[in-house]
Amino acid sequence: MTGADTCGSHHCITCGDDGVPLQVVRIDEVRGLALCTHEDGTRETVETALVDAVAPGDVLLVHAGTALTRLEHTP
Amino acid sequence: MKFVDEFRDAELGRAVAGEILSLVEPGRHYKLMEVCGGHTHSIYKYGIDDLLPANVELVHGPGCPVCVIPMGRVDDGIAIAHRDGVIFTCFGDMMRVPGSAGSLLDAKAAGADIRMVYSPLDALRIAKQNPDREVVFFAIGFETTAPSTALTLKRARIEGLRNFSVMCSHVTIVPPLRALLESPDLRLDGFIGPGHVSTVVGARPFEFIPADYGRPVVIAGFEPLDILQAVAMILRQLAEDRCEVENQYKRVVPYEGNLRALEVMAEVFELRPHFEWRGLGFISHSGLKLSEAYADLDAEARFSVPGVRVADPKACQCGEVLKGVIKPWECKVFGTACTPERPIGTCMVSSEGACAAYYNFGRFARERQVV
Repeated sequence: MTGADTCGSHHCITCGDDGVPLQVVRIDEVRGLALCTHEDGTRETVETALVDAVAPGDVLLVHAGTALTRLEHTP
Repeated sequence: MKFVDEFRDAELGRAVAGEILSLVEPGRHYKLMEVCGGHTHSIYKYGIDDLLPANVELVHGPGCPVCVIPMGRVDDGIAIAHRDGVIFTCFGDMMRVPGSAGSLLDAKAAGADIRMVYSPLDALRIAKQNPDREVVFFAIGFETTAPSTALTLKRARIEGLRNFSVMCSHVTIVPPLRALLESPDLRLDGFIGPGHVSTVVGARPFEFIPADYGRPVVIAGFEPLDILQAVAMILRQLAEDRCEVENQYKRVVPYEGNLRALEVMAEVFELRPHFEWRGLGFISHSGLKLSEAYADLDAEARFSVPGVRVADPKACQCGEVLKGVIKPWECKVFGTACTPERPIGTCMVSSEGACAAYYNFGRFARERQVV
């Protein structure tokens, strides 16, 4: 078993430098969360407190469940 | 996939490799350190080493947060995990890091309730679902991960969750770099700076490297072209006798970092006077603990932990690997007694660890060279 197998990705999520681009599907403005989707269709709830307002269709760089930056914005 | 495919273009890669070749001085040996484990992983995975001239050597740095966790902290985590009523949560790779008497995975096999999570938010969710249990999150990682833990702690506070706590083992990137630069047995010509750590802290914290130590730094992304371009940018600085912090990863890293992330970290964490790094020893002001305002959510205060310092196994040379003094395969136990399936040292645990990355991707190329 390698780290990659454990984490289900090429990079280990433990790594301080693992960042994944995810696309926003839906926003929960009250709780400051966004439902996002990976390229393979799997979904993840993402904390959005550290980036400017996000909208469905935006692409976020996500690390350990938190968006660190907005890669693409849908105005 | 956008942001990925265009940075894996083979033709462009060959063009940058040609540029690198034109920048090196024949007869001069260049030693560049990639600080971050993510870079190490990409270098081996994509065979970037093979595209570089023989006199450009990449040295692997201490940027894998799993690899730098000392055995004593693993033992402390296991001690908490064995407490009645505790659900202990951590990231996947942390489960396999050996403590003095086994790993968290061994403790799980022995009956402790230890669960793998993908984010601190997952741990918080487990706490909400199990109000009669104490849920502890083993927080590790550099400044990239620390904001996620900080936001989760703020959320726990707002939601009034009392059965959630964090064992904070977050570390900061600058103090170990300074320790490496002060190390007498290491000569480096430049640094490939950590991409996503810089998304949070920005480029400014690395300015001391050119200012105080006269070495160039280029902050880089993680795709093969990112790393090749960063190598070319460092070599160009050296060729032009320049020495500064450059940002190859501008599409993601703002020079000032993420100010909101820095604010939330400042609110929730404070620096420990000292923190032990595997192989590097105690480094001042290099680890984070919860601030006074969040002390009631500190697992180390809530549960008594042994807090005993445990020396690394004698056969293990992770320290030298982490400092870039030896290559992974030069360790006495590499690939024999120490493998990803049965790691002795932490560098063999995480896929970002230099030894595991080399074991998984690089050893075949080396075997070919030997033949």
